[in-house]
Amino acid sequence: MKHIIEALEAKRQAARAGGGEKRMASQHAKGKLTARERVELLLDPGSFEEFDMFVEHRNADFGMADNKIPGDGVVTGFGTVNGRLVYVFSKDFTVFGGSLSMAHAEKIVKVQAMAIQNGAPCIGIFDAGGARIQEGVQSLAGYADIFMNNILGSGVIPQISVIMGPCAGGDVYSPAMTDFVFMVRDTSYMFVTGPDVVKTVTNETVTAEELGGARVHSAKSGVVDGAFENDFETLSEMRRLIDFLPSSNREKPPVRPSFDDADRDDPSLDTLIPDNPNKPYDMKELLEKVADEGDLFEIGRDFGRNIITAFGRLEGSTVGFVANQPMTLAGVLDIDASRKAARFVRFCDAFNIPIVTFVDVPGFLPGTKQEYGGLIKHGAKLLFAYGEATVPKVTVITRKAYGGAYDVMSSKHLRGDVNYAWPTAEIAVMGAKGAVEIIFRGDLGDPEKIAARTKEYQDRFANPFVAASLGYLDDVIMPRETRRRIIRSLRALKGKKLENPWKKHDNIPL
Amino acid sequence: MDAAAHGRYPNALRKIDPRGPMFSKILIANRGEIAVRIIKTARRMGIATVVVYSEADRDSMAVEMADESVFIGPAPAAQSYLVMDKIVAAARETGADAIHPGFGFLSEKAEFADRLLAEKITFIGPNPGAIRAMGDKIESKRTAGAADVSTVPGFIGEIEGVAHAIKISEEIGYPVMIKASAGGGGKGIRVAANRREVEEGFPAVVAEAKGAFGDDRVFIEKFVLNPRHIEIQVLGDKHGNVVHLFERECSIQRRNQKVIEEAPSPLLDEKTRERMGAQAVALSKAVGYDSAGTVEFVASGADKSFYFLEMNTRLQVEHPVTEAITGLDLVEQMIRVAAGEKLGFKQKDLKINGWAIESRIYAEDPYRNFLPSIGRLRRYRPPAEGKTGVVTVRNDAGVREGDEISMFYDPMIAKLVTHAPTRLEAIDAQATALDSFTIEGIQDNIPFLGAVMDEARFRSGDITTAYIKDQFPDGFNGTQPTDDQRELLVACAAFAQALVAQRAAQISGQIAGYTPDARAERVVIIGDAVIPVVVTLGEEGAVVAQNGDGREVRLVSTWRPGQPVMEGRFGKAAFAVKISSRAEGFRLKLRGVTETVIVASPRAAQLHGLIPPKPAADTSKVVMSPMPGLVVSIDVVAGQEVKAGEGVAIVEAMKMQNIIRAERDGVVAKVNVAAGASVAADEVLIELG
Repeated sequence: MKHIIEALEAKRQAARAGGGEKRMASQHAKGKLTARERVELLLDPGSFEEFDMFVEHRNADFGMADNKIPGDGVVTGFGTVNGRLVYVFSKDFTVFGGSLSMAHAEKIVKVQAMAIQNGAPCIGIFDAGGARIQEGVQSLAGYADIFMNNILGSGVIPQISVIMGPCAGGDVYSPAMTDFVFMVRDTSYMFVTGPDVVKTVTNETVTAEELGGARVHSAKSGVVDGAFENDFETLSEMRRLIDFLPSSNREKPPVRPSFDDADRDDPSLDTLIPDNPNKPYDMKELLEKVADEGDLFEIGRDFGRNIITAFGRLEGSTVGFVANQPMTLAGVLDIDASRKAARFVRFCDAFNIPIVTFVDVPGFLPGTKQEYGGLIKHGAKLLFAYGEATVPKVTVITRKAYGGAYDVMSSKHLRGDVNYAWPTAEIAVMGAKGAVEIIFRGDLGDPEKIAARTKEYQDRFANPFVAASLGYLDDVIMPRETRRRIIRSLRALKGKKLENPWKKHDNIPL
Repeated sequence: MDAAAHGRYPNALRKIDPRGPMFSKILIANRGEIAVRIIKTARRMGIATVVVYSEADRDSMAVEMADESVFIGPAPAAQSYLVMDKIVAAARETGADAIHPGFGFLSEKAEFADRLLAEKITFIGPNPGAIRAMGDKIESKRTAGAADVSTVPGFIGEIEGVAHAIKISEEIGYPVMIKASAGGGGKGIRVAANRREVEEGFPAVVAEAKGAFGDDRVFIEKFVLNPRHIEIQVLGDKHGNVVHLFERECSIQRRNQKVIEEAPSPLLDEKTRERMGAQAVALSKAVGYDSAGTVEFVASGADKSFYFLEMNTRLQVEHPVTEAITGLDLVEQMIRVAAGEKLGFKQKDLKINGWAIESRIYAEDPYRNFLPSIGRLRRYRPPAEGKTGVVTVRNDAGVREGDEISMFYDPMIAKLVTHAPTRLEAIDAQATALDSFTIEGIQDNIPFLGAVMDEARFRSGDITTAYIKDQFPDGFNGTQPTDDQRELLVACAAFAQALVAQRAAQISGQIAGYTPDARAERVVIIGDAVIPVVVTLGEEGAVVAQNGDGREVRLVSTWRPGQPVMEGRFGKAAFAVKISSRAEGFRLKLRGVTETVIVASPRAAQLHGLIPPKPAADTSKVVMSPMPGLVVSIDVVAGQEVKAGEGVAIVEAMKMQNIIRAERDGVVAKVNVAAGASVAADEVLIELG
């Protein structure tokens, strides 16, 4: 018996040693933590239950038969974040560069499957060099198995990918199919093909940072939902995010005690909207003053900044905030903003998170760049996402709600449950000037007439009362009481039950 | 509001002439905090108030508080607050029988006082003759000399040229100051330490004076060593009575703009004070002064010699420190004497009670060379006013949370005054009040003010008008915490994290068998220091032991996550620390210190220690947008040479165009954005090679 225990311990030691001290030191020197250290930071102390420590690859080609390390380059298992179950896999760059063998893939597939079965989030930590080339097609098969579970788990459990090293090929496609992707600045990259291949194929010279660094993906491509300074900050933020998320689509959002007063009024919101209708203001201030303790977790902060998507809490329970941001491009809906918000709305709907929408939108962004880029379809995504969502939907129009964008932004007509407006709201097909230039085209030569008509249109529509008189708005509320009114609405919507017609799945305009 | 105002002047000597005719309604020809200040006193006296307001002040606090308000035009003062016709018309329209001009704007315009005399509206200020007598710097010095007020040795009269200037300078003795007669605001002033510097400086000042003021008259006077700005508050009535209300010291200035004022002055002894007071009274009597006014002196820190500078014929911004030490309400006194009442007290009735410090809270970024920072006050939470123990806190402001600090007027947000029995107690009270004063949305100079309150030389009272230049030669970059401050910050962070963790452990949906990490051991990482702590949460705070030395200190605070300021007691001392959440930690602000602090389990801290710090990004080679906004233009191209201070781009934010300047010389290596792009704060616009 004793020697078996000793053998067990020796194997465990070997697994923990990963790629060895030298490689671990090199990992640290690069500013990165090791796979196990990352799991430790992500999970509650002592909560990690590891699986498959003894798994080794089964490859005998290219000299791999004698080159085995227990665990085979990925650490997997389950643990808790503030007591709530999560499954985790963490790639070990020190072992075969984190490359993926069939055995390595099987370990990941196992935790994915358990997460789906048991209804708990699955968090993947990526720091990997791609396929284990020595294994050939088996490695590709392994990737596909992981992809398959990403797909099956989508909408069932929250899946989060954290990119903490250089990732290419299969190691970017799995993250791409998860709900949220985050990166670490300066130490992580993501691309389908790296700078060398780019150079060979297109003769384009580009650095890894320029091609797929955190800044590129968080601000330009929108592939990732956020970037953080280092491993420590990233994993701390992941714990904060997980606290907002329901464990699966079978559960309600988590609740925790709030130190904030549900009846809190904020008089300063009464002056948030500037007198000049063309002057921007920071919508984030409204979110911060409405959410419990001003605590928000923004998704895609640096991408499509003309719309804000963020998790927050009201009375301790998670809500998803979607808000046009007048500070950037006047809060217009363009391709990036539509894509970003649509995905967020669908996440919330899939996981029973009520959606609170703040509207100040002048319309869709005109121009060839947008039209050639397919704004019609991208804009339709957001329209579709809001319309199909069956979670509680509370909307507040703060200022402009013009044209089709009014419809899109969680309007009554898309089954908005409670739709409020501030007294400063203007709900119309377009701004008064544009409207008059179309309706009274014949008077264009007469500036006086046009001015009079503009004023007429302005008086008629630059207010919330026409929409309110039609029942498209449920009430006109004072800005200061926004938090209280939303909370009351959501209390009443706790029992909401709404189902869409049976279908295999919808066909959202991808 | 009224009760508080009453409480503010516990020693007020209110013996008044009941037969005196008092106004029924006064108009305030001003805005912001001083308008609010005057309304409060008028209300306490039972006088109705009218304020005038420009486009920019439509929803101001003063407008909200006043009984009536009259719109007087566009935001620029030249089209509103400075237009006498509009002010007079507003007074006529509302039936106001007197006008208080506040300070600035029309307060020292003799023509305005003349006009009101003609219109039979009482001007709450001195008679026009007194304003005129003191209005011209050369004239006022002659008058002062005639009244036996000590003036700086110098030459008053026409200077014929450089040779004459040198002769005068050598008679006075170097160093001398060459100054434009119409000068002000730091323009048209040179100091010359020898003949050569006079040769250079004199023609330069003449040219500058002509260019800037259209008046090339120049005078030369002795340059005072270790100069301190000390001023005497005077108060006169229409019956020939004048008293002085002691001195204020306003040596803490930045570019001739007062920043911190106090009363009394740490320099003066009783004898000097009496001499200065007597001279100020003599001068006031000489010009028939009949309101509140201020006689400014420059005093030498070396030998307490003092010389008359000028007289301000109005209420001063810093008048509250005088009110705090005398118990008088100066606005009330101005109103009473304007109405013809006799002063209700004599010089012998007045005495100094305790010490008062005032900080001017400005909308400016102390870390960016005090660049003005305008915009919306997302959060504005001044410290609680009133008396606690021996300390009285008063905050004069004209804004509320959600108001806008506009580009059109003075960027002062508030005046924070603390009063206590001694100077050091008043400074400490000021420091704590500043610590809890929360402003968000725009930058403020509170960290700088807090740093001054902590600074040894300021605390010693050994100050001069060059104090800020001497102590902060490279501008302000924040201060390092002292050991005591670090201990407090560590305790605050540990307490806050313990609360956050305790709450996080109460989330719904936990799996069976989960027990929160109850261990009280934590590690606080602050700067380069890694400090082990043991935190035990209690009913109203926590007990914190640091560094494993077994010494436990109790932190008492009712702070809860989400609140911007943690206030309470740490050990025996009261504290206030601004706190906001960061990843696994907090950003804390205390005095001039800003620290981002991480609180972690010992193991997590160990892992944190494995991550090498990133080299700070070299921002000297880039030009960043200081605020989010829209790029209006990029005014350079790659390869172009730029000089420090040269405008390279224009970014529009909140409809304001801001010129973005290169901070050093260089060649443009890369232009990252084009006109029309929207940029975030700190986004790199241009890279320099």
